Amino acid sequence: MYVKRMRAGGVLAVGALLSLATTVVVAQGISIGHLADFSGPTADVGGPYGQGVADAIAYINKQGGVAGRKLEHETVDYSYQVPRAISTYKNWSGRVVAIQGWGTADTEALVGFVTKDKIPYFSASYAATLTDPAGGSKADKATPYNFFYGPSYSDAARGLVQWAADDWKRKGGQGKPKYVHMGANHPYPNSPKAAAEEYARELGFEVLPPIQFALTPGDYTAQCLTLRQSGAQYAYLGNTAGSNISILKACQTVGVQVQFLGNVWGMDENAMKAAGSAANNVVYPVRTSAIWTGKAPGMALMREISKMSDPSGTAYRASHYLAAVCATLYMKEAMEWAAANGGVTGENIRKGMYARQNWTPKGTEGVCKPSTWTAQDHRSLLQLDLYRAEVKDAPDAPIAELVAKGTIQMTRIATIDLPRKKEWLGW
Amino acid sequence: MASTIALRPCGDFKTSYGSDQIVFPTRLSLAFCIFGIVALCFAPLVLGKYGLSLLVQIGYLGIAALGLNILVGFTGQISIGHAVFFGFGAFASAYFSNKLNVPVFFAIPLAGLATTAVGLVFGIPAARLKGLYLAIATLAAQFILQDFFARAGWFTGGVAGTAAKSFSIFGHDVAGDYQYFYVVLVYVVLMYLAATNLMRTRDGRSLVAVRDHYLSAEMMGINLMKYRTMSFGLAAFYAGIGGALYAHYLGFVSVEGFDILFSIQFLAMIIIGGLGSIMGTLMGTTFMVLLPEVMGGLAKMLSGSAIDRMLSLSEGIVFLREMTIGAVIVLFLVFEPDGLAHRWRQIRAYWKLYPFSH
Repeated sequence: MYVKRMRAGGVLAVGALLSLATTVVVAQGISIGHLADFSGPTADVGGPYGQGVADAIAYINKQGGVAGRKLEHETVDYSYQVPRAISTYKNWSGRVVAIQGWGTADTEALVGFVTKDKIPYFSASYAATLTDPAGGSKADKATPYNFFYGPSYSDAARGLVQWAADDWKRKGGQGKPKYVHMGANHPYPNSPKAAAEEYARELGFEVLPPIQFALTPGDYTAQCLTLRQSGAQYAYLGNTAGSNISILKACQTVGVQVQFLGNVWGMDENAMKAAGSAANNVVYPVRTSAIWTGKAPGMALMREISKMSDPSGTAYRASHYLAAVCATLYMKEAMEWAAANGGVTGENIRKGMYARQNWTPKGTEGVCKPSTWTAQDHRSLLQLDLYRAEVKDAPDAPIAELVAKGTIQMTRIATIDLPRKKEWLGW
Repeated sequence: MASTIALRPCGDFKTSYGSDQIVFPTRLSLAFCIFGIVALCFAPLVLGKYGLSLLVQIGYLGIAALGLNILVGFTGQISIGHAVFFGFGAFASAYFSNKLNVPVFFAIPLAGLATTAVGLVFGIPAARLKGLYLAIATLAAQFILQDFFARAGWFTGGVAGTAAKSFSIFGHDVAGDYQYFYVVLVYVVLMYLAATNLMRTRDGRSLVAVRDHYLSAEMMGINLMKYRTMSFGLAAFYAGIGGALYAHYLGFVSVEGFDILFSIQFLAMIIIGGLGSIMGTLMGTTFMVLLPEVMGGLAKMLSGSAIDRMLSLSEGIVFLREMTIGAVIVLFLVFEPDGLAHRWRQIRAYWKLYPFSH
């Protein structure tokens, strides 16, 4: 009897210890959320970006996590559906201290929630409305907990317009050049429309009525005919790569002679392969100082991180992957600052983002561009590297090979430094 | 369609009109219903956040689906634009509470009324059409309203969507699933009771008459135009209330959710649940809400297992879920065209008559 009771006691004690141990392990992790689009209309660029975030988190955990605590993340594919993003957020709230997000519509829908709950939200939406943490600008509301790495959509579009104006002069164009905005009627393509159009007028462009085409791939011959008829010289493509490929191909068939200006998500190595020669001459911004074939010192770390999902190290990573890694590492270092200054809470992570000026995460030198966030201004980056796409022959090999052979070429054609104008904040 | 109502075990004769109209045939069934509602009141204590969110979802979708069942199951019309009325209710409630400062408590029924008005407008042409022509006319409602949502910035916030305040009562904020659950529960009970009683009135019986044989109904003095339009109005009212509950639950309304696929889902709910059955509507909604969750769970369980490796599903496994949902619906239509409500009655009859069924 005594033995039995002792055994029972022992079992209980071991059980208690085990449960204690598990609670300790759970308490040690830092919970973060990750919203990604792997199956929606922006999955073409959401794939590489989401993979970048996931790999960076895996790498951080492999290196021991943040201040000795592992990052516990849950990746949810929300298919670019705002309601799904919000219900996912509601599930997370109270548990996560930071979120790696994705699209414009959902990020803007969540602004109120994350501000109230004080959860730093690192979006892959670069809408200018997310850059005003203090309020008082043209943006509807203050967004103190929204962060992103890269130039805002509006600033990127302004940079492209500025390049277009220079290009017009360089080519010796006569009269007023014509500029047209193209994209879906959706918060993301709409985001920079007004800002870019106003800047274009300022620089002497004639701004034509916008041309609409959906975020999903489709037959856009009608739009290309409209474009040809309009006589525009410069057309801004506001959608992501997938639907841009369709319109570029359609316009090539129709024979439109327009200089296309791509959004930051509008063109990449994958899209160049898919679009083939139709992608020739598209000018678009890249957020990082290097692309995958670059030789910058920070690329060593990027290749290590890439091995988390590709142990052979042979995969070619599109430019979005690098931007995702940068965004995740900025969050990580802000978390480290928070851990050293009162604990990893949303409020402290936010302060951690402000702790330094012109900074890059450790080991990413030459890849992530030095960025600054302040309590008054979340425009992290005002420098824009513009690339021109060039595709030769018919590309039908792995991208790594195509890039190595020079079939797919991305040439940096300009670096534009935009002024940090106060009146440009928030729109 | 009518067969579901007429299906009674043999020997079950009614001797008065009153007994024919009774809501709860036995005292036990009344007790069961009350017990069910009371048990649901304790659900927040037992269920986690996830389970509760599913119940809330069943609640607001069930209300909207009931509206469609009144239109399709009881009146014999068809609508493939139900989702936009759901959406209109959601936007209207957000608009009333945000822009006009109407307390959310009143904004929800107001949104229902506003949606009724819209439903009546779209019901007018629909009342003159039949069959496939009617289907296409309601499709027009789907497209017109969906485009309206995307463009009417003053009303819906345009493509960017609009935030919706949380439900409050006497200055007390009903935030969070735990409290909002009761709001939805109250609405579900009220709306289902209302529909049950509607079917016992002259108007309700007229709707059924229009469905069963419109020519005979007209000869008996039923104004077809009036009842068809009314049916559209009723359907829109239920959809509007459901949508408004959804808006204040999620806290945000955006255009993209209210597409034609969502409309078809409502149709699937009532077909699976049972056309012309009020209880079946709730069953069908429960089925449609839980099926993806169960399938998602199964897919998660399968991934990485021997079956997964053998068939090398890996990435395809998430799509398995969508395909299975489609397959289950087809199987349902083949083997149980009268819906879950019919199956439920058969099970009940089996136990009641055991062991002497037939």
